[in-house]
Amino acid sequence: MDIYAQSILDRYKKPFHKGKKIDATISHEEANHSCGDVVKLELEIKNDRLTGYSFSGNGCAISQAATDMLGDLTQNMNIEEIRTLSKEEIYEMLGIEISIRRSKCALLSLLALQNALLKNQNTPSRSWSAYHL
Amino acid sequence: MTPSKDSFRSEFPIFRERPRLIYLDSAATSQKPQVVLDAERNYYETFNSNIHRSAHFLAEEATIAYEETRLAAADFIGAHSKHEIVFTRNATESINLVARSFGDAFLDAGDEVLLTLMEHHSNIVPWLQLKERKGIQVNYIDVDPEGRLIFDESKITPRTKLVSISGMSNILGTIPNLKPIIEAAHKVGAKVLVDACQLAVHAPINVQELEADFVVMSAHKMYGPTGVGILYGKKELLDQMPPFMGGGEMIQEVFKDHFTAAEAPHKFEAGTPNIAGIVTMKAALNFLSERRDSFYSHEDELTNYALEKLKTLPYLRLIGPKDMEARGPIISFTMEGVHPHDIAEGLSQKQICIRAGHHCGQILMDRMNLPATARISLAPYNTKEDIDSAIHALEEVYLYFSS
Repeated sequence: MDIYAQSILDRYKKPFHKGKKIDATISHEEANHSCGDVVKLELEIKNDRLTGYSFSGNGCAISQAATDMLGDLTQNMNIEEIRTLSKEEIYEMLGIEISIRRSKCALLSLLALQNALLKNQNTPSRSWSAYHL
Repeated sequence: MTPSKDSFRSEFPIFRERPRLIYLDSAATSQKPQVVLDAERNYYETFNSNIHRSAHFLAEEATIAYEETRLAAADFIGAHSKHEIVFTRNATESINLVARSFGDAFLDAGDEVLLTLMEHHSNIVPWLQLKERKGIQVNYIDVDPEGRLIFDESKITPRTKLVSISGMSNILGTIPNLKPIIEAAHKVGAKVLVDACQLAVHAPINVQELEADFVVMSAHKMYGPTGVGILYGKKELLDQMPPFMGGGEMIQEVFKDHFTAAEAPHKFEAGTPNIAGIVTMKAALNFLSERRDSFYSHEDELTNYALEKLKTLPYLRLIGPKDMEARGPIISFTMEGVHPHDIAEGLSQKQICIRAGHHCGQILMDRMNLPATARISLAPYNTKEDIDSAIHALEEVYLYFSS
């Protein structure tokens, strides 16, 4: 059986950013209740850049691996760049085919990250429709 | 003549179209037999017409067929008369109808609706909405770790006006003993709604023996089409209840400033209904009635087999009753270290359909401290080989994630 790419499986089993100690300035949680996926992000922001990323969570391999990989992708990224990250860029980061039924698993951490930043700027949060889901 | 077990599968065309399909998600929706598909085609090809109103022979044929399903549904659940059967879009709409009509008319602030922790969201949210509208209180009967109801009569108080309870849990497969709950409810004058969505296809229901006041069912879980729900209500209750939605068919007379409602059940059937679906539902009810005994015994055999096989995998945890006592063919489980969605994805790659998630039962999941479960649900078209394939795939999934 080969359910997901090895890279996804490795990240799911041995995440880099899960439970990492950082000096978080903001945190935010998003859940996909119908699947039972939850991610909570702890973020450190300095001079409009994401300088620290840590998470806790529970969920399927795609949701948890995507959350971990998003930490790499957005390291030192400018806040504005993160706010404009698209669904396609996340799919590219994952490097596997994402079916419609798994799209929320793949995008849960992006939603959490973007909403964390929006909340921090007192801007209305996004919903799944932002990703045309 | 009762068809043999081997012929069950051959009556469902989807297995001819997809020979490798292993469908273990019948609690979500059942597959459809050829006779049901034929009935729908026959309706559209030979007597498609709007019912009850048009003054021509074709409309009359459609109306007769539509009303024949009402009679078949009444017979199916042992109702006193066909006037106690209301057609809706689904069981959810049936419950909403009762909450909006009966609830709004007869419940006041402080009155209580008693549910159980293993209700489907469709039997929780309409009551929470009634709570928002009228300030009623929503209480719950608890479940034990095996998924059995912990019922004692103190749950029913003089303020209890309605008990709304599932006949079979869509997550645990548990079939609660409804009789004592219904008796206790009636003692204080409370009415009882039975959500028979899962039960109706797996066990006989007799509303008169049960003394249920309302029963709801969904055609698509009973080999019938989607878009058809059935609401049974005792005649005297339906007569007292105000209409649900307004429109054509539900009225007797309309004036500029008021209207008078038609009699039950028509006053609850506003607008053109799903005529094709309802006409077709008769074929599904007949199909099920004719095979009842052999279906039930085959389902029991499969459920027992599946439970025993699942128990042999030490990394699986069965959620709900682990034996055959008062249960149906729905089995929930979790796998050590593997999220239910990943289990379902692995099985899906092998053409095996199971469900993963909270199954519209978030409060039960919370009660049991689980984010989600994987769920196998069985039907007569399943075989022991289907279960063997699923067990083998579960072993592979575990190996994949643990190695």
